[in-house]
Amino acid sequence: MDTFLQIVANGLMLGGLFAIVAVGLTLIFGIVKVINFAHGEFLMVGMYLTFLLSTGMDVHPYLTAAAVAPALFVLGALTQRLLIQPLMSARDEHVQIFATVGLSTALMNLALLVFGADIANTPAHGVRSQVMLGEVRILTGQLWVFGAAILLVIGLQLFMKKTRTGRAIRATAQNRAAARLMGINDKFIYILTFGLGAACVGLGSSLIAPLYPTSPTIGTYFVLIAFVCVVLGGLGSIPGAFFGALVIGLVDALSGFYIGSDLREAVVFTIFLLILILKPSGLFGTRMNLSHVSP
Amino acid sequence: MTLKTLLTATAVSALVAGAAQADVKFGALYPFSGGLALLGEESFRGVELAVDEINAAGGIQGEQIELVRGDAVDNNQAIGEARRLISREDVKAILGTYSSSRSIAASQVAELSGIPYFELGAVADEVTGRDLQYLFRTNPTAETMGIMTIDMILDEIAPGLGVEASDLVIGVIHEDSAYGTSVAGHQEEYGAEKGLNIVTVQGYPSSTVDMSSLVLDLKDRGVNIVLQTSYQNDSVLFLNQSAEAGFEPDAIIGGGGGYSLTATEEAVGALMEGVLDVDFTQYAVNTEFTPGLEDFLVAYQNKYGEEPRSGHSLNNYVGAMAVLEGIGAGEGFEPDQIVAAVKAIDIPAGETAAGYGVHFGDQNQNDRAMMMGMQWQGGKLVTVYPRDAAVAEFQIGD
Repeated sequence: MDTFLQIVANGLMLGGLFAIVAVGLTLIFGIVKVINFAHGEFLMVGMYLTFLLSTGMDVHPYLTAAAVAPALFVLGALTQRLLIQPLMSARDEHVQIFATVGLSTALMNLALLVFGADIANTPAHGVRSQVMLGEVRILTGQLWVFGAAILLVIGLQLFMKKTRTGRAIRATAQNRAAARLMGINDKFIYILTFGLGAACVGLGSSLIAPLYPTSPTIGTYFVLIAFVCVVLGGLGSIPGAFFGALVIGLVDALSGFYIGSDLREAVVFTIFLLILILKPSGLFGTRMNLSHVSP
Repeated sequence: MTLKTLLTATAVSALVAGAAQADVKFGALYPFSGGLALLGEESFRGVELAVDEINAAGGIQGEQIELVRGDAVDNNQAIGEARRLISREDVKAILGTYSSSRSIAASQVAELSGIPYFELGAVADEVTGRDLQYLFRTNPTAETMGIMTIDMILDEIAPGLGVEASDLVIGVIHEDSAYGTSVAGHQEEYGAEKGLNIVTVQGYPSSTVDMSSLVLDLKDRGVNIVLQTSYQNDSVLFLNQSAEAGFEPDAIIGGGGGYSLTATEEAVGALMEGVLDVDFTQYAVNTEFTPGLEDFLVAYQNKYGEEPRSGHSLNNYVGAMAVLEGIGAGEGFEPDQIVAAVKAIDIPAGETAAGYGVHFGDQNQNDRAMMMGMQWQGGKLVTVYPRDAAVAEFQIGD
């Protein structure tokens, strides 16, 4: 029983980790309608920034989020402005997806060039210490990630629902042409949203860096799982991504124990395929809005 | 003396000197560019030092050796470069290759051309597993690594813990590419042969970000000896998550890769203390068992102005020395003469700079090739097994 509870706790904590990566991904997809394959590399860049800042200035890695999240915002905004926006008028929208795949490969190889293939270790500053909840062991860092993921989801929901900018973002997502007629600058909204999505993963990277060794390829695994979470939760749904991540975290941990560590990915991706076949809109998804297709 | 005779004399002496420098050509096929370039170059340095040493001592069969480099940047280019070395450069044999997949590709070309191919560094079973006539391998393999870990349990760990080896509960975990899978397969097979109780063998992708379920599984099964064949990320993850789950096996034996690197030790700190590792011979080893190692280090420093970046150069040096001296002891450079010469090589253990002997047995694999058992002690990776090669005591139990 103790083992079972421990696995469930591990699964939930893992889910929190996936969630904080998935939220930004689903935000970008939901609004800009671009699948950002470079999202994992944004995480990797954020983790290296956290590593450099926290070792260079000898500060707690969490504090570096104040610099890393804005830096990632800029990276995301530039990606939208310089890479995606010029391609928005392209006849075939898949070009944008290929562009993010290219960006992903470029960033990964750039990191290999700059940092080498060796891992970089962000000092833990105590976040690897354990707390006991009854018989269950959890790292304080994992709890912080979990809490931050919840706050991020709530914060984003409030922002989207309550602020003028948030409403403008949603309006643009719902009907780009109508939003433009209402005087909304859709290009600016896309840049803002892409930056925001990247800033979310920037915040996540400062929280994740002290828990995992950073390497140029760290993003690839995270982003694959994050896709599954986003699809499970319903493409574009922020709370959906969060709950999708918790489900995937639990499935991952339980199948890793009861079925075998070599098959856990097979289980996760089988679920992914089943959702696509049986309920393509996901748990929280609504019907896809394709109004952006019209100019 | 007229100007004409002077010119003729100069031309003739230049020709003679040139000929003496390029008497017999050997190909050196390594990845010199691309992702594997660092350790490819490091491997090549070993061959270069061996050739320098042999040429300084008069060459082989009275002739100086000239190395012709080929860049095996990927599998296709490995094939192309092997063809070029053989047909255009007319090399008598090829030495290489560091990467197993490139070795497998290029040696196929050499085999068809009937040119001997000496593999000095690639570990995959298939390199020698194809029964090629002209392929020889001097370095230890995935099988050597698997057997060595099991032998270490039998010879040191069980006696050190004061229990029968068959009473130990052993868990084998490995990253699931060809490397980890084949080492784990040999561990399982050889362990069963020796009557060990291996309760689980589990693979995982080396890019994984969570091993907590695997750790809990091992803990649940009462595993007290863990064998992990891994890269860097997964070594760190396993050690960290084991500590976090309160899983404390009596011994952890890593297989090369992540466990030999200082960066891994820096990542996990004190958790690395006492962890064991089986890998190619490194430099903290008893030099009585590895004669020539100190000279190698001096020669390396003189030529390249730095310390070796890994053990690859040493192992390639040892392989190249054995093969080239073997050829030197033979007669002629025709393929069959070279094959006959290297088949006669018979160097016992403890007489090369890497410690292992050289003798080509079944499938032209060096059946005396071995790895070393090492242990992290006080933040340093020191050789502890076999005892002849050890520089420190094997620390196990209390």
